[in-house]
Amino acid sequence: MARLNTIVAILIFACSLGAFSQTTAWEVSADQATKKNPLEILPKNLALGRNIFKRTCVSCHGEKADGKGLIQSTNLIDEKFQKQTDGVVFYKIITGRDKMPPFGAMLKEDEIWSVINYLRVLVDPSAIPPPKNVKLELTTGEEIKSITAIVLSADSAKLPLNEVDVHFYVKREFGLMRIGEMSNYTGADGKVKVVFPEKIVGDSEGNVTLVVKIENNFLYNDIETTAVKKWGTPLLSHEDEFNRRALWGARDKSPVWLLLLANGIIAIVWAVIVYVIYNLFRIKKAGRIFIK
Amino acid sequence: MTDLYRKEIEIKKEQFQDLVSDLNSPLNRTGSSFKIWIGFLLLLIGIAGFMYVRQLQQGLGTTDMRDIASWGLYIADFVFLIAVSLVGSLITAILKLSNVKWATPLTRISEIIAVAALIAALLIIVVDMGRPDRLWHIFVHGRLQSPIVWDILVVNTYLVISILLLYIPLIPDLALLRKTMGHKPKWQQKMYKILSLGWQGTEEQFRIMNLSLTALMVIIIPVALSIHTVTSWLFASTLRPGWDSTIFGPYFVSGAFMVGAATVIVTMYVIITNYNFKAYITDKHFDLMGKLLVLTSLVYLYFNLNEFMVPAYKMKSGESAHILGLLVGEYSLLFWSVQILGMILPILLLIIKPFRKPKPLMIISVVVVIGAFLKRFLIVTPTLLHPFLPVQNYPESYHHYNPTFSEIMITVGSFAGIMLIISLFIKLFPIIPVYETAHEKGFPNEIINNS
Ligand code: HEC
Repeated sequence: MARLNTIVAILIFACSLGAFSQTTAWEVSADQATKKNPLEILPKNLALGRNIFKRTCVSCHGEKADGKGLIQSTNLIDEKFQKQTDGVVFYKIITGRDKMPPFGAMLKEDEIWSVINYLRVLVDPSAIPPPKNVKLELTTGEEIKSITAIVLSADSAKLPLNEVDVHFYVKREFGLMRIGEMSNYTGADGKVKVVFPEKIVGDSEGNVTLVVKIENNFLYNDIETTAVKKWGTPLLSHEDEFNRRALWGARDKSPVWLLLLANGIIAIVWAVIVYVIYNLFRIKKAGRIFIK
Repeated sequence: MTDLYRKEIEIKKEQFQDLVSDLNSPLNRTGSSFKIWIGFLLLLIGIAGFMYVRQLQQGLGTTDMRDIASWGLYIADFVFLIAVSLVGSLITAILKLSNVKWATPLTRISEIIAVAALIAALLIIVVDMGRPDRLWHIFVHGRLQSPIVWDILVVNTYLVISILLLYIPLIPDLALLRKTMGHKPKWQQKMYKILSLGWQGTEEQFRIMNLSLTALMVIIIPVALSIHTVTSWLFASTLRPGWDSTIFGPYFVSGAFMVGAATVIVTMYVIITNYNFKAYITDKHFDLMGKLLVLTSLVYLYFNLNEFMVPAYKMKSGESAHILGLLVGEYSLLFWSVQILGMILPILLLIIKPFRKPKPLMIISVVVVIGAFLKRFLIVTPTLLHPFLPVQNYPESYHHYNPTFSEIMITVGSFAGIMLIISLFIKLFPIIPVYETAHEKGFPNEIINNS
């Protein structure tokens, strides 16, 4: 009995806490609040932060992080938010509240810190230097199907650029499919290589369009290069399937049995209707004779 | 001898005159309460029209339908109205063909309910469309493989047959009106004249009429069954929890007969309280309609048992969220109210004779009608909220459906429209068939024709 009472008491307490926390400030312990951000504000982790923000947070917090996404959420670029310590923000992101999902289990600690850095830079861009132009070249390996991106400085010196995040895609019907990792960094020679996955379907000849991009980078401006390779599995033509009469077929491809059945029913029923309407005229005629 | 005979004819003639003036009495009496009633209905329709114009301007965002629940009150209303319209075939065709004589005074009531409900159903479908301007696409691009196209075909066919079944038995009555309504406005007299097709009541005319009626009564039964079966297939032919059922056709049809019977009872009650028809629609009619309601409800109960018991026993993982939502979850209160108040309780009460007296029967029928509407809602929307594929990244509000004021008013407007059609019909045409009643009371055709 005593145990039951304790449980009930705890439940009531928990509920009231729950109700309480909805309306008041987020409780963050001093321990959490003073936690230090282990990441420096570097272009590399800013890019990571931006990628994560674009992927996971934009839907609610909006493209500009002003809280105007699909739902109204908190403005993350106003002063009130920005004056909180990194530790507080970190805690809020991992625990979540109400419609804000807890990201603790979904994102790595470093990733969350990098998002925080990104939010800081959004309001204070002077923390990083202005972006530069680069040259992006491609070479492909045929033995093992692979693409290598080479990033060089845009000036005449053409120096290889180290630690540049390059994104690799294959063009699909309605968009781009990423291959390789979320981030692929160039080495000291300015090169980064990604292996082309197997069983990618190309066009009827097996051609695939590879798209390589430097994008959302804080050090460099966006640039994109494409290459067409005969690396894919040829797309099998399903013309015959589509030309077949079937339930899923187009308007003029209804199955014959359905045409017969449906039109047969329609014909019989409407024949009766037409007959009855014709009878209305006969009734009228029969009356006319009588009047005379 | 001949004198006696002539006298008898005179008496019969007088009796017939009384019958006609009795049954035509609503046409001759238009009180202010009727005008207020029409004004009230027009007001409701006006509000609905306004809401619809707003919906046209702003899009379906004025409803609470979103990506997940893309069918809501409108479709529930559509299914409900189609269900109601089935009663036309039940009473005019099924009962008539099985030689049930007592239902004669109710045929026209049920047929006008059917026609009005069908018109409203066709309109509400257009209301549910995001782009009504593309309605014609269904005729130009529609595929015969799609149940939606079948539905359009069959609903329109049923409407045509129902109108004919309403109109043809009316012809002899129209001929009477042509003779007796000389004091009415010109357009009304003209309408009677044109519509009565020069009816003289000749044997030939009767023969053609009866032939046509029989043909229609036979053909309307399969068409009526298929109209609601096809409506149920709109759901059952998709792979969705709660809709993926093989008995949806008969389940819908039985439910339709039940709500149709209840609707006729309510209308009968309204008519006898407003007009002096107690001699024609008697307690006996109410009693028998009550019994019919019990019968149809029992069949429906049986289908409900199948429809919920079997999936609930299996509790397949994909469907369990939906079934639990109905039985014990978000919709349980509504679900059990509908099942108990709208079906089980009426059955239990109506097997007791005193409850089949007009007033209690009418009250129970109103509950049945409301329950039936909510039941259609429970069939349409909760299923959509529990698709087999998991839903992700939607705002929380998309996971629920609560009809907006605009949706509710448009739906109310559809009911007001139906009542308006019926009310005006009662004022323009005899709601109880004059000729058929006279015929069944044994008046010979000569008297009917020559008065
Ligand atoms: C499903 C919508 C949603 C997503 C996705 C989302 N948030 Fe939120 N977020 C919210 C809402 C709503 C609040 C306000 C919660 C409250 O105050 O109760 C919030 C609050 C916050 C806060 C606290 C603001 C403050 O100081 O009160 C931070 C920080 C935050 N979000 C960061 C993020 C980050 C970073 C991401 C992506 C990793 C993210 N959110 C993704 C909805 C979302």
